[in-house]
Amino acid sequence: MTSPSDQRLTDAADDGSGRERPAPAGAAAAIRLRRPIFLDLMRIQIPVGALTSIGHRISGVVLAASVPMAVYLFGLSLRDAAGFAEVAGLFGRLAYKAAAVIVVWALAHHILGGVRHLLTDFDVGSPLRAARRSAWFVNLAGVVVALLAAMVLW
Amino acid sequence: MKLSISRYNPDRDKEPYLQDYEIELVPTDHMLLDVLLRVKAQDNTLSFRRSCREGVCGSDAMNINGRNGLACITRTSELREPVVIRPLPGFPIVRDLFVDMTQFFKQYYSITPYLVNSEPPPEKERLQSPAERDKLNGAYECILCACCSSQCPSYWWNPDKFVGPAGLIQAYRFIFDSRDRATQQRLDDLDNDPYRLFRCRTIMNCAEVCPKGLEPVHAIERIRLKIAGVTEHVGGLDVHPPISPK
Amino acid sequence: MRIRFTGLKAWWVQRVSAIYMLLFVLFLLYSFGLHPVHAHPQWRGWVAQPGVSATFLIFFAALLAHMWVGLRDVLLDYARPAGLRRLLLVAVAAGLFGMAVWLLVILSRLQA
Repeated sequence: MTSPSDQRLTDAADDGSGRERPAPAGAAAAIRLRRPIFLDLMRIQIPVGALTSIGHRISGVVLAASVPMAVYLFGLSLRDAAGFAEVAGLFGRLAYKAAAVIVVWALAHHILGGVRHLLTDFDVGSPLRAARRSAWFVNLAGVVVALLAAMVLW
Repeated sequence: MKLSISRYNPDRDKEPYLQDYEIELVPTDHMLLDVLLRVKAQDNTLSFRRSCREGVCGSDAMNINGRNGLACITRTSELREPVVIRPLPGFPIVRDLFVDMTQFFKQYYSITPYLVNSEPPPEKERLQSPAERDKLNGAYECILCACCSSQCPSYWWNPDKFVGPAGLIQAYRFIFDSRDRATQQRLDDLDNDPYRLFRCRTIMNCAEVCPKGLEPVHAIERIRLKIAGVTEHVGGLDVHPPISPK
Repeated sequence: MRIRFTGLKAWWVQRVSAIYMLLFVLFLLYSFGLHPVHAHPQWRGWVAQPGVSATFLIFFAALLAHMWVGLRDVLLDYARPAGLRRLLLVAVAAGLFGMAVWLLVILSRLQA
């Protein structure tokens, strides 16, 4: 769906830099040279909902990265008694305990954030005030669950 | 009042830099725009857009202490000093606080921002019941200031492919207008590829910064439900008291 | 096994798989709450039950589908230029397919 004004608004295709707009072809567009963009994330405010969202993405990637290992441990624990014992013994080691706490945080934050998303998708708790409250809850609850897991493992 | 304002002259500067100003406030300096105009009286070279000075034209949208807002309705009494003023994030900077809005408006035009109805016009208006009119509440008030799209991370990463919260709340305004006859085409246009609408991750920055208190994220949810053929809601979108930069 | 998703289909897959996985996690918590597993024969015997195996199988299918939509979203947002993005998407799809095969092997061995 285009409008007549679109004919004048041809910009260059995305070239991969993501930071500057390169000079597109065309007479009028030639004036639009390399223009800087303000995108310093340290200087831009991050509201609570945005924290929940970036946490959701990071926790998702952490979980995705841990799935291959989890599948391996799953198979090992089922293979035979020796494998099962090996898996059970792993969680005595510090490195695995630390990893487990991080994965537990990721799981908790991702699931709680996900439930929040499912609810707002269907119009439950979507107005801003309610959404901010649920965002605070998700952010805190994820950390609390991780701390609980740390206490259990130690 | 101490201010740090982003300056950039394309003829001279390689990149933007912050310039400090100090202004003696007088009792009539209620809003940030008043202060900016006094800065301009002091330093003529400072450039920024402004027009109505009452929060309805959307010209003076800028990033104030990290948060987008309209300078003309941002109270000076509530601002943390030094007040750091930068142009809207993610938009190419033409000069000082002037940004290039071309891409933003291109996205707006792409959602067909006019009623499509080829039925013969009635004698007077095309009628609409109060209930049907209510559905547009919370969407028609959009002034296209770009505070939302320029605070949306998904729009930062793909401004040419993701329509953005402003374009999508405008799309909502036409999709849910009972007088429009192109509803299915509008919905198909947004579902066509994984970018136009579905880059929205419900981050909600848009609702946080909208100076009119609108909630584009909510509008996007409703469009998604309509595309999915799930529940049709009653009434308009929520509007909350706007949260100004502090 | 590269399936093309438009915006809406991917969104549905992500949501439906999420709901199933949520129910599965609750099911696991409930099962281990009632009957904690301490030894291999008990663990293996439980998973090998046809009903439980089927539940696990559907869970893994949901997990891989959910992962695909999620990782694809991350790549669509950040990966540029288009050629690199397509390469990464293919790599992720191949990895997920490999894990699907691996999981099928693990579960089918239980029935041997």
